[in-house]
Amino acid sequence: METAALRAVGLVKEYRRGRAVDGVDLTVRTGERVGLLGPNGAGKTTTILMSLGVVTPDAGSVEIFGHRLPRARPTAMAEVGFAAGYLPLPNQMRVIEYLRMFGRLYGLRRADDAAQAALERFGVGHLARALGTELSSGQKTLVGIVKAVLHEPRLLVLDEPTASLDPDVAQRVRTGLGDLCAEHATALLVTSHNMVEVERLCERVVFLARGRVVADGTPSDIAHRFGRDGLEGVFLHLARDEEAA
Amino acid sequence: MNSGPAAESARRVFAIAARHAYVLRRSPHRVFDVVVWPAVDVVLFGSIGIFAASRATGTARQVTLYLLVGVVLWHVVYQAQIAVATGFLEETWSRTVLNLMVTPMREWEYLAGVALFGLVKLVAGVGVVALIAWGAYAFDVTSIGVGLIPIAVLLLAIGWAIAMFVVGLVLRFGSGAEVLAWGILFMTMPLSGVFYPVSALPAAIRPIGRALPTTHAFEAGRLLAAGRPTPWGELWLAGAGTAVLVVASLGYLGWMLRIFRARGYITRYL
Repeated sequence: METAALRAVGLVKEYRRGRAVDGVDLTVRTGERVGLLGPNGAGKTTTILMSLGVVTPDAGSVEIFGHRLPRARPTAMAEVGFAAGYLPLPNQMRVIEYLRMFGRLYGLRRADDAAQAALERFGVGHLARALGTELSSGQKTLVGIVKAVLHEPRLLVLDEPTASLDPDVAQRVRTGLGDLCAEHATALLVTSHNMVEVERLCERVVFLARGRVVADGTPSDIAHRFGRDGLEGVFLHLARDEEAA
Repeated sequence: MNSGPAAESARRVFAIAARHAYVLRRSPHRVFDVVVWPAVDVVLFGSIGIFAASRATGTARQVTLYLLVGVVLWHVVYQAQIAVATGFLEETWSRTVLNLMVTPMREWEYLAGVALFGLVKLVAGVGVVALIAWGAYAFDVTSIGVGLIPIAVLLLAIGWAIAMFVVGLVLRFGSGAEVLAWGILFMTMPLSGVFYPVSALPAAIRPIGRALPTTHAFEAGRLLAAGRPTPWGELWLAGAGTAVLVVASLGYLGWMLRIFRARGYITRYL
């Protein structure tokens, strides 16, 4: 059997307010680009946090390139890059210092070179000496993505990566990510509320609603199955369905 | 290019230490914890000691020595504790916790990195205290002799252990527990006989004081400063108590980390 980049089986998570994730199975194959979609509260972020070993599932298991969490978490995390559009940069660090720190946390010997190369990949090499306080929110998001890719991970997990980016920068990010995935056969798991972006970036989409997988397939297959023109129509259908429930 | 696991661990430890060095360099107000409060303490207690000694007779004239030994050793445990506790709080304030948790870094590597930079701050803070004590009050901390080394090591370990309790409390209870980073040691200060023998405490709370490893470390420091032979009994009690405290703090931190992951408390820092 092929070793998946990510294999999560039967994930369940219950919080005091209710069940956030209810038996999710999620597999991302090596080199595959998967979009994880769903309305707010569908369980996307909880699923991602469990997949990264930050939240312990009540039931189910997670393996990253065959490394079972939580026991093999350090080995597994060496293969993963993570960025979230909602996470800030520390104010008291320069971009290069921040990237150097994460490069070293990932065990890179030449962290500065890797940081500079990753900045150039996304066209923001000039930001290397800037302090966190001097960056716009879009630039911070970009640096967060650069941080996620600087050790050339085999699995890239991005939670709302382009939420604060203008269309031009978002396009550059999509291109950069697409190139990276193609060059290194990097698997990608991305959540986004931008359906157009997901359609362009991902070859497979998993829809969550009320903590369960309600659709899994190519964007066109899913749109067809729900009788909609595109993913946006599916999203609106599911979101309204959730509201009604 | 990657390298062996030991080199990678060392790189991670130094990366965390460097991260906190940047924060200190660009946050001048944090210098207060490192050098200003220690300087205030030594001037305050040194002057009280000089004033009290000028009106005392006999062995009571040793009050200055007691206060100065106490303030120097106090800052060993205080700086060790505050550096690790506020180091972790810095990650919560800057919302870096999630980004750190999804790296290959192990928990001990993080703690070692923060403690390593804490040592630099400790040397600066205790150095200021020792210099002022020597320059202004003619108290040479090295006069305690080599016995100072095990006492300092024990107080360092106690400071780190208490910091791990604080980190555990912050993981479990969130920002509401932050105040303990500064307050928790001050609760143990009077019980530990930092500036006086534990016999000076009210009888009802003396047993609590005697149970604390800090009490025996400070007592050992005072005895050495007074020119007595190495107080092995006090050092042994301090060592045993410190070992228990370190094991308990590690167990507590591990327990709180499991709760943190199980209950999804990371969402507090997103």
